[in-house]
Amino acid sequence: MASKNGDIPRIGVYVCHCGTNIGGQVNVPEVVAFARTLPNVVVAREYKYMCSDPGQMLIKEDIQKLNINRVVVASCSPHLHEHTFRKATLEGGRNPFLFHMANIREHVSWVTQDPEKATEKAKAIVEAAVYRIQFHEPLESKHVPVHPDVLIVGGGIAGITAALTLADAGKTVYLIERESSIGGHMAKFDKTFPTLDCASCILTPKMTTVKDHPNIHLMTYAEVLEVDGYVGNFRVKVKKKPRYVIEDRCIGCYVCIEHCVYKTPKHPSEFDEGIGLRKPIYIPFPQAVPLVAVIDPETCIEFKSGRCPKKCQKACREIVGRDAIDFTQKEEILEIQVGAVIIATGFQIFDPSRIPEYGYGRYPNVYTSLEVERLVNASGPTGGAIVLRDGRKPQSVAIIHCVGSRDRNYNPWCSRVCCMYSLKLAHLVRERTGAEVYNCYIDMRTPGKGYEEFYEKLLHEGVHFIRGKVAEVTDWTINPEEAGKLVIRVEDSLIGVVRRIPVDMVILSVGLEPRSDAEELRRLFHISCSAEGWFLERHPKLAPVSTYTDGVYIAGACQGPKDIPDAVAQAGAAAGEVLSLVDRGVIELEPNIAVIDARRCSGCHVCIALCPFSAIAFHAEENVARINEALCKGCGVCVGACPSRAISQQLFKDEQILAEIEGLLMVD
Amino acid sequence: MIPIPRTIKYESDLDHAFREKIMATQGCENIWSCIQCGLCSAACPISIYMDYTPRKIIAMTREGFREEVLSSRTLWLCASCYACEAYCPQNVNITEIMYALKRHAIEEKKYPRNFPIPELAKSFFTYVKAHGRNAEFWVVFRVWRKVALLRLVKMFPLGWRLLIRRRLPLRRERIRHTRQLKTILSNLNGEV
Repeated sequence: MASKNGDIPRIGVYVCHCGTNIGGQVNVPEVVAFARTLPNVVVAREYKYMCSDPGQMLIKEDIQKLNINRVVVASCSPHLHEHTFRKATLEGGRNPFLFHMANIREHVSWVTQDPEKATEKAKAIVEAAVYRIQFHEPLESKHVPVHPDVLIVGGGIAGITAALTLADAGKTVYLIERESSIGGHMAKFDKTFPTLDCASCILTPKMTTVKDHPNIHLMTYAEVLEVDGYVGNFRVKVKKKPRYVIEDRCIGCYVCIEHCVYKTPKHPSEFDEGIGLRKPIYIPFPQAVPLVAVIDPETCIEFKSGRCPKKCQKACREIVGRDAIDFTQKEEILEIQVGAVIIATGFQIFDPSRIPEYGYGRYPNVYTSLEVERLVNASGPTGGAIVLRDGRKPQSVAIIHCVGSRDRNYNPWCSRVCCMYSLKLAHLVRERTGAEVYNCYIDMRTPGKGYEEFYEKLLHEGVHFIRGKVAEVTDWTINPEEAGKLVIRVEDSLIGVVRRIPVDMVILSVGLEPRSDAEELRRLFHISCSAEGWFLERHPKLAPVSTYTDGVYIAGACQGPKDIPDAVAQAGAAAGEVLSLVDRGVIELEPNIAVIDARRCSGCHVCIALCPFSAIAFHAEENVARINEALCKGCGVCVGACPSRAISQQLFKDEQILAEIEGLLMVD
Repeated sequence: MIPIPRTIKYESDLDHAFREKIMATQGCENIWSCIQCGLCSAACPISIYMDYTPRKIIAMTREGFREEVLSSRTLWLCASCYACEAYCPQNVNITEIMYALKRHAIEEKKYPRNFPIPELAKSFFTYVKAHGRNAEFWVVFRVWRKVALLRLVKMFPLGWRLLIRRRLPLRRERIRHTRQLKTILSNLNGEV
């Protein structure tokens, strides 16, 4: 059988054992013996690890000595080693696209039970590859330039770190934050474990550096609307929500807030998790970046009735002389061009009102851990005093671990940070109130530098550690010592008895979960989510910040629960990946693009309307459509739609796919 | 001198086939999922009277503490309210496991003596298996005769009043085809 381009195919087949990954399930020698019987196969070999240097040498030597001109490697997924073997084929002296990979690990040995049937399936997949490779042609990869600017979505500690790293390297960075200030969850904390350094002392210098950095374009109160393009060349539409305060004019002097018609704050502050109050015009916290007021149209009287005396506007104009307030501001849509994207959108906390037994929302003195973070924070609503809702100082506090975590009824995963932040809160509560603190945990998980030592420190501070998951928090009391208190019921599983403990305050150590709109973001950027909803990395160990979409990277807790050190480390890694991409300046794209046979094209325009990347244009003088190679992503939509069958897709031509199917069906 | 019993357990004291037996019962497969958080014990309204908390029963069953588990009062105090199952973060079918353990305890005659609940279960089951219907008088009579004879004598006046008002029939009702019922019962999980 001669191939289309005239040469007689001389195929080399290489079957990999992958240690015992494949060899333990598939009878590799049998597959090799079978491969030798297939048409045009000149040589078939097996090797323990084809991806190793000696394995690759086999391919190169056979190309040179046996004049092999087609290579099939039966091993793992193309995701892992297609690049390796294409390179080996090239180094042997053949076009790299005269190679094809047969996946007998993920598709066979890892997912089958019967070794005999597995061997049969492996044979079928190898045969399919051998049939297909006959129709492969030499192809040239296309090269496109990479736009040097970078987009970072999310202005928490991960986004800030990545932005500063890239900006310091001289890259132009667009940092987009949904809230009116950057800082994320970390800005809400008072102290950070295990060193107990003040969160804002270490975060706010970074925040102001972001604000002042000449290479960073900071866009707060903004969201990504649309993403177009591909690695190296993304076009992103950003929506800037109106904050009704002109950012360039506002100096954050608070005069407008003082003059608001609301004499005292009446509305729950989002930043203070609802335990503090704000006015309709507010600055979320004193260290906000940018330090610009924002008006909430939901609560502002001017927006609700249109009959507000607008004292804030008058004060700004007359007292400060800035005239920064503009009630007519509209949302703005901006379009930016970037070469790479880092997604650092973080997490949301588990909503404990989903667990009715814990009484959150029902008993006023049941708090989430994030609410307590605001309570203990010096810039929080109580100025750092830990008090109950009625102003009393708690004498006993229970901290319930694993709320919404490690629970198949809610979230099955361990949220990783709760044990440590619960210890931190236990320390702060004990230090500031002297209260008895009961930590109810399932397992104490403190892996990390200095973390176990922190646990040890807490043991010495006299905190009670009760190993057991709390069943319920109740105000149903049964004896005088419980009167007026909340009672938790828990098995002290190390002792083996059930205990009832009366406390004044209950802190629910809520777990971390993916943001509720993570799915929308995932679709925007064409990346994947794990089953739980966290953004999926390309490889859990070896490519932890890359995604399956080239040019899109992830950092921080949007990839999975993470503490600050880990989020910062990932942000640095993502910035490194972006630098490596952007500084290369050029990327090589898979030549799996569609091509139009001008002789067959009838000029019907069907493909032009369907192409999602606007890569097809009509050439009136020749009455044919033509595909722009730089824009085509190889999605195949036009190929399927063309009524004249004038369009074919490289690496996925009809004869290649039909031959592959034929090969699959040959083994019975 | 009071003899001090040893509490250490050697592997030869344990029965590792026990957990396989319990796991083989339908609904008890996920005993492996237990993370020993103790939520079942804390949720249980009766755990305050149990000799081993439900969490301990699970752990002991998994590790083959057959004697201790089967003779435990816990199995017979379980009121099958299913609170533990509803709360369990690992969806372990604790109540089902309790039932399986109860059946084994009766089969192996390991249940605590002088304790009415296992006797009641046994007596009830004997009558239902034989006749297909509960025979109230005979079930109660058998339980108290075995557990506390004196109590039976004390209950005589109440029993007499119920009898003459025809509230405690002495007659044992039967269903037809009791043999079919026996076949069904003996096919349940290959036990009984």
